Amino acid sequence: MTASNTPARVRHPLVKALATAAALSLAVTACGGSAEPAAGGDGNVTLSVTVWNMAKTPEFKALFDAFEAANPGIKIKPVDILADDYAEKVTTMLAGGDKSDVITMKNVTDYSRYSSRGQLQEITDLAKSGDAAKLAGLDAFDVSGKYFALPYRQDFWLLYYNKTYLDKAGVKAPETLTWDEYAKLAQQLTKDEGGKKVYGTYHHTWRSVVQAISAAQTGGDQLSGEYSFFTDQYNVALGLQKAGATLDFGTAMAQKSDYKTMFETGATAMLPMGTWYIAALMEAKKSGKTDVDWALAPMPQRPGGSGVTTFGSPTAFAVNKKAEHADAAKKFVQFAASKAGAEAISKVGVVPALQSPEITSAYFALDGMPTDEVSKKAFEPDKVNLEMPVSENTSDIDTILKEEHELIMVGDKSVADGIKSMNERVKSEVLN
Amino acid sequence: MAHVATQPAPTAPPRRRRAWRHILVGWSFILPNFVGFALFTLVPMLAAFALAFLDWDSYSTPEWVGLKNFQRLWADENFHVALRNTLYYAAGHIPLTLVAALGLAIALNRKLRGVAFFRTAAFFPYITSLVAVAIVWNTLFNPTAGPINQILEALGVADPPRWVASTDWAMPAVIVTSVWRDMGYYMVLYLAGLQTIPKEYYEAARVDGASTWQRFWNITLPCLRPTTFFVLVMLTIQSFKVLDLIVVMTDGGPGRSTLVLAQLVYREGITEGKFGYSSAVALVLFVIVLTVTVVQFRINERRSAR
Repeated sequence: MTASNTPARVRHPLVKALATAAALSLAVTACGGSAEPAAGGDGNVTLSVTVWNMAKTPEFKALFDAFEAANPGIKIKPVDILADDYAEKVTTMLAGGDKSDVITMKNVTDYSRYSSRGQLQEITDLAKSGDAAKLAGLDAFDVSGKYFALPYRQDFWLLYYNKTYLDKAGVKAPETLTWDEYAKLAQQLTKDEGGKKVYGTYHHTWRSVVQAISAAQTGGDQLSGEYSFFTDQYNVALGLQKAGATLDFGTAMAQKSDYKTMFETGATAMLPMGTWYIAALMEAKKSGKTDVDWALAPMPQRPGGSGVTTFGSPTAFAVNKKAEHADAAKKFVQFAASKAGAEAISKVGVVPALQSPEITSAYFALDGMPTDEVSKKAFEPDKVNLEMPVSENTSDIDTILKEEHELIMVGDKSVADGIKSMNERVKSEVLN
Repeated sequence: MAHVATQPAPTAPPRRRRAWRHILVGWSFILPNFVGFALFTLVPMLAAFALAFLDWDSYSTPEWVGLKNFQRLWADENFHVALRNTLYYAAGHIPLTLVAALGLAIALNRKLRGVAFFRTAAFFPYITSLVAVAIVWNTLFNPTAGPINQILEALGVADPPRWVASTDWAMPAVIVTSVWRDMGYYMVLYLAGLQTIPKEYYEAARVDGASTWQRFWNITLPCLRPTTFFVLVMLTIQSFKVLDLIVVMTDGGPGRSTLVLAQLVYREGITEGKFGYSSAVALVLFVIVLTVTVVQFRINERRSAR
């Protein structure tokens, strides 16, 4: 806990340091002009790649090992950053003229920020060649016909649940749920287990838990400046909170509570979360950190819709505009998105962007993966919409939506008032 | 006569040379420090001033936009919110810390067994990691299970504040935490000040039959004026620059209820990459701090002159 927060303390000096760096880099780039040509394929190249929580994110090591084996002569040096601070740290590094070769795009909002600022190299050629067209989530990286990153991983959201609690309550694996049924189930599962409170479900504090899912299932556009489509989903979320069936938002925020801890200690029976958690959960179980008996179910749906619609977001690699080894970096980006890359990461339980029936079946053959039919169904949603559309306004709108989300969830504003101020603020501060 | 007139001529060059040598020696002493200061403080500061008039994202060529950043600032609701919150924080943090520090100093300025322990205890929060402080206080302020609210409920408060989870109480929660953290440091300054007051004053006052309150009001406070002035200036500067505690405790939330100017500078600059606009906010913050400090100096001078 402390470790993940320590950088906060350096933030203030950081601002000063950055100003220096910015001023210096301005001077340097202005005079420097011609950079020396990047080292080519021959010779020994050490490629630096920005990653987060290397020790807890097994996909990176899997990818790096596979790439190094396939490309003798290229070594990979990870630049490990704390997950919580990843976006800010990378933003600072790029602004300061950092020369790391490959930058991992943790989400598309950050991607839109970096690409619109011209901090990434254009790799449209890679996106148009080979298997790239088959990559799930590739569209998210299309910036008016140009591509600056290739996805290697495609996550989407589904429902994790604790089998033991459901069995105890005599509930079958929830194959199809509407949001109302889900809310009822959550209330049914809320219990006091020998003095320890078990919540029916846990909604993490991210705004996506309410907003992205309602955008995905109602067809609403989060960049539009018109947000009445959030209403129903907010009523569901607030209803759960009022009934005490989920940890109250204010408490979760004040405590900076962790969805992993909530689920792995059995403090919650259900958890809507992204597929990235599968790998971490299998890892936690293997190492004996948790003994939760878990399985997957499809995301609850709005009534009336057909099939399973959820939201997701790809993770991608991009080449830094100031990369020292641009050619090798491009090679890596291409490798990660290729079949070899997909195989390497699906072995550790991560959903690759390049999907094929073989990869899915290999995935479910993994040790520790639930094997029931509902879990398999959950793994193949009919439609995965993008978590947040990419545009130059994405990050500004994201900030406003996050602030208003907090106000609605802590009960400071009614749903109607919160949505009204989202509409007004996005229109007046961003879209005007 | 000619003799006299020519007299200084031969000695002048050595003297001038010696003066030069003095200057060079002087410079060589401050140079190492000054280079560091110039490179890491002065240049960035001047750069920030210049950046406030540019539109720059740290990558593309900066574009001169004149006062446009300041016009935007004028119309930007985030800026108004952050300015209001910063003033709110300062208005709470400055007087409360001052009073708490003075109170602690007076209470601990005695020859008592174990007084050193209490002084250390009071100073301890200041040297504790700020992140740890923020996390512990967040736990204390936990709206449902936190000890503070449990105590309040036990005392019969039916609906205790939701602290960091409420727009009305988040800032007071931050202020309480920061007062707790800072009072030990200013207590040390006050202790030093208290020890410079000659004992004879108190003895004389006691002989004249002055009460405790009269002694405090007529001896202690006036004698502490230089210390109070220093504490006030330092506290003001520190208050307006607050960032770290807020980032860890509330990150500006809920909503924008604890968004402060320094955080806006960080957000606009580092996160959004609008370095020009961010520098404009920083410049305004600088002007505010400078103005308040100058006013404090003026008031102090006038009082000293009396």
